[in-house]
Amino acid sequence: MNSNQEHADTTHLVLIPSQWRALLVLAAVLIGIPLTLQNDYFLLLFNVMALNGLVVLGLNLLIGSTGQVSLGHAAFFGIGAYLSAIASVTWQWPLLYSFIFSLASVGLVGCLLALPTLRLEGHYLVMATLGFNIIVSILLNQMDDVTGGPSGFPGIPQLSIGSFTIDSDLKFYMFIWSLFLILFALTLNLTDSRLGRALKAIHEKELTAEAMGIPSHRYKVAVFVLSAVYAGVAGFCYAHYVTFISPKTFDIFYSVQVVTMVVVGGMGSLWGGLAGTVLLTSLPEMLHQFEDWYVLIYGLILMGVLVFSPQGLVPAIASLPLFQRKTSGDKKDTGRETEPGRAKDQARHRIWTHAQTTSGNRPDAARAMPVLQLQSVSLSFGGLQALNEVSMNLSAGEIVALIGPNGAGKTTVLNIISGLLKPDRGDVLLKGKSLLGSAPHRIAALGVGRTFQTVQVYQAFSVLENALLGYHTRGGAGFVSAYCHLAGERKEEAHLRELALRLLDDFNLAPKANAPIQQLSLLEQKLLELARALALSPGILLLDEPVGGLNPRESAILVDYLQHLRERGIGTLLVEHDMNVVMRLADRVVVLQHGSRIAAGSPQEVQRDAKVIAAYLGAKK
Amino acid sequence: MSGHLIPQFLVSGITNGSIYALIALGFCLIQNATGIVNFAQGDFVMLGAMIAISLYQAANLPLPAAFVIAIFAVALIGVALQQGPIRHSRNRDILTLVMITVGASITFHGAGMLIWGKNVRTLPALGGDTPVFILGAAILPQTLWILSLSLIVLGSLHLFFHRTLLGKAVRAAADNPFGAVLIGISVRNLVALGFGLSGALGALAGILITPITSMSYEGGLMLGLKGFAGAILGGYGSTLGAVAGGLLLGILESLGAGLISSAYKDAIAFVVLLGILFLRPAGLFGSVQVRRL
Repeated sequence: MNSNQEHADTTHLVLIPSQWRALLVLAAVLIGIPLTLQNDYFLLLFNVMALNGLVVLGLNLLIGSTGQVSLGHAAFFGIGAYLSAIASVTWQWPLLYSFIFSLASVGLVGCLLALPTLRLEGHYLVMATLGFNIIVSILLNQMDDVTGGPSGFPGIPQLSIGSFTIDSDLKFYMFIWSLFLILFALTLNLTDSRLGRALKAIHEKELTAEAMGIPSHRYKVAVFVLSAVYAGVAGFCYAHYVTFISPKTFDIFYSVQVVTMVVVGGMGSLWGGLAGTVLLTSLPEMLHQFEDWYVLIYGLILMGVLVFSPQGLVPAIASLPLFQRKTSGDKKDTGRETEPGRAKDQARHRIWTHAQTTSGNRPDAARAMPVLQLQSVSLSFGGLQALNEVSMNLSAGEIVALIGPNGAGKTTVLNIISGLLKPDRGDVLLKGKSLLGSAPHRIAALGVGRTFQTVQVYQAFSVLENALLGYHTRGGAGFVSAYCHLAGERKEEAHLRELALRLLDDFNLAPKANAPIQQLSLLEQKLLELARALALSPGILLLDEPVGGLNPRESAILVDYLQHLRERGIGTLLVEHDMNVVMRLADRVVVLQHGSRIAAGSPQEVQRDAKVIAAYLGAKK
Repeated sequence: MSGHLIPQFLVSGITNGSIYALIALGFCLIQNATGIVNFAQGDFVMLGAMIAISLYQAANLPLPAAFVIAIFAVALIGVALQQGPIRHSRNRDILTLVMITVGASITFHGAGMLIWGKNVRTLPALGGDTPVFILGAAILPQTLWILSLSLIVLGSLHLFFHRTLLGKAVRAAADNPFGAVLIGISVRNLVALGFGLSGALGALAGILITPITSMSYEGGLMLGLKGFAGAILGGYGSTLGAVAGGLLLGILESLGAGLISSAYKDAIAFVVLLGILFLRPAGLFGSVQVRRL
C-alpha cells in the first residue's frame, strides 16, 4: 500500500529495483546459507529450490498479468533441458549454442501455443497447456532414439565458462542463486514500469485496458513467451547440473507443484512466489517417510489455500493489522479531503491550463470538418436488428448527445466506434480514415477516449496509477528497457508521472494521488475516469451516461467539467438519459429508437419532434 | 495395408467415443451450472471405477449392486465438492474456482493412490468374452452394453432437461441465474444437482470402460482430458456438441492409432484439442461468444 510513495522516491534509480533493500537482505541470507550449512545434501535442496524459483517466477508473471494459469510449465522446463542435452551431446554443439537453441525453441513453442489460446475468453489456456504437457511427456517417452525414452538421457556436460567448470554443488549454488537474484531483480523492475502497470491492468479489466490503447493480446502473448523462457532457462541449468534427465521429472505433477507454489505464496506477488517455493520445496524433506502422501498433501494444500486464503499466504500475512501501521499513516495524509465541488470555481480558472492541448485543434477552425463520421451503420445480433442504417457526424469542439429509450442501440454505437463490435454494413471514419477492422487498442491510440456506463477504474491501483494508465500510449519504452530500468525508461516514467499529477490537479484529485481507489466517491471515480480518457489526448470522447448514479449537485459539477471539453476542441459523443444534462450540454441531439435514427437537430428542435415524443411517451392512436 | 481393419477401428472408436461423450457431458453440466471447468471430472471416472471394483471384489456385492452404489457414491462426492470447497471459497473469481477443482483433482488422485495402491485393477466384462461379428468387426458384449447404456442415459437426460420441471429449472438457471432466483428457483441446489449428475455420469463412464482398458488411480486424468477435448470439439457448453464431439474424438483417435501409430494414440486427442482451439474455438456446434464488460 505504501509502495506508491516508495516508487515516487525511486523513479530516478537506474537498473536497480525500488525494493533494493529487501533484495540486499535476501542476498545476505543466501550467502549465509552455505557458510552455516556445510552439507551437500542441503545445498542440493537449495539448488532445486532455485530452479523451482525460476519456474515460479515466470509463472507468477503470467498469472499476475493475464490472470491465466499454465499447467504446462513442466513441458517448457523439459524442452529447455532436453533440447540443450541433445544439442550438446548428440550434436556436440558448444554450450552457448545449445543454450541459445533451447531457449529460442522454448520461446517459439510458447508463442505458437499462446497465440490462439490467449485470444479466447475463458479458461482454455489451463486445458491447452495441460494437453500440451501431456503431448510433450508422450513425445519424451516415445521418441527413444532421440531422447533415450523412459530410461533417460545420460552424460550431459556440466556448465563451464572457459576453463572454469561448475562441478560441485557449492559452485552450482553460487551460480544458480546469482542467476535467480538477477532475474528476480529484473522481473521486479518490469512489474514496476509502464509495461508492468499495463500488464496488471489487463488482468483486472482487459477491455478497459484496450480502451486506453493497451494492446492486450500482444502483451499477453509476450508475457506467456517470457514465462516459458524462464522455465526453459531453469530446464537448461537443471540438465547441465544433474547431467542425467528422464521424462518423469517433466510430467504433469511438476506443473501442478509449481502452480501450487505460486498459489500458496500469492498469485501475482513475486516475493510471495519465492516464499511458496521455499516452503513447498522443503516440504517433501520434512515428510521424508511419507512419500506416498505427497500427492494428497499437495492437493489439500492447493485446495485449502484457495478456499481460505485465495490471495496467498504472503499477501495475507502482510495485510494483518500488525503490518498495517504505514498504511494508516497514508490515510491520514490523504484524509484532508478536498471536495471537488467546493473547489469548483477555482477549477474553472485553471482547468486545462496544465493539460495537454490536443494536436493544436482550434475550436472554430476545426468545427467545419467532422472528426467522426458514421455512415449507414447496421448491425444485428441473431434476429435482433440492433442498429439500422444509422448515420451521424461529430465535429471538433462539438457535443452531440445520443438519446433514446432503453435498448435503442446507444451503447452499441459507442462499442462500434471503439472497435468492440463490428458492424455488418456501413463505415466509421475518424478524420476521414476508416476505423473498421482496427483493434480497440489501436482505435484508442488514434485518439478515441472513452468512459463507461458503470465506472471502470482499477481497484488494485492508486489514483495516480489509474491516471498513469491513461498515458500508456505516450510512452515508448519496450520490454528490455523496462526489465533493466534503463535511464531513458526511468526518465520517461518520471515524465509520465509529472503529466499524470498535473492531470489529477486539473480535476482536484491531486491531493488523493496516492490514495487507494476505494477512498474515492463515485463522482471522484467518474472524474478520474474522465481524466484518464483525456490523457490519451483524444480527438473525440465517448461518454456513456456520465452522470448516471450521481445526485443533482454532483451531476452539476461533472457537467461543469464537461463544458470545458468543448473549449479544448474535443468532439464529444454523449449517451445520456438525464434530459437536463442533455439540454445544457448538447449542441445537437440524435435520437435512436429500435436501432434507427428517428430524429436529429438542436435540443429545442428534438424536444418538439412528434416522433421523439411518441418514442418516449407513447403515441396517441 | 490395414484398410480391412477399418470397421474394427470404427467399433472401438465408437466404444471409447461413447465413454468420452459421457465425460464431456459431465463437463458440460458443470460448465452450464457454474461457468467453471471442472478438472476433477476425470477423477470422478476413476473413483466410480475403483469404488465399484472394491465393492465387487472386497465386499463381494453382486455386480449391478456394486455399480449402482458406486454411481451414487461418486454423485455424493460431486455434491460434497460443490457444497464444501467450491461454495465456501472466499474468492468467487472463476480462475480461483477452476484452480480449486485442480486441487480437488490432485487430492482425489493422491487419496486414490493411498487407498487402492498403484496397481491396475479391472472388472469382469458384462455378458462374457465371446465376441459377435458384424461386417468383419469383432464386437464384445461389453461394447454393446456401453452403447446401449450410453444411449439410455443420453435419452433420459434429454427428457429430463426438456420434459420435467426440474430439468427446465436447471436450464433456466444456467441461462440466467439471477433471473432464476427471482422466480423462486434455488440456484444453489441446482448447482449441487449439476455436480451430483456430473459425478454420476463420470462414475458410469469409469465403470463401463474398466473391463476394456482397466483402471488405476491415475487413469482418470487422461480420460478426463479426453472428455474435455471432446466437449471443446463439439462446442463447449453444448450438450449435443459434447456427445457428438466425444464420439468424433473416439473415432479419430482409434483411426489415428490404427492407421498411423498406436504409440501416439494418447497424443491424438490433444492434437485435436489444440487444433480446434487454433482453427475453430467455438467448436463444431458452438457459437462464438460476444465479449462483454
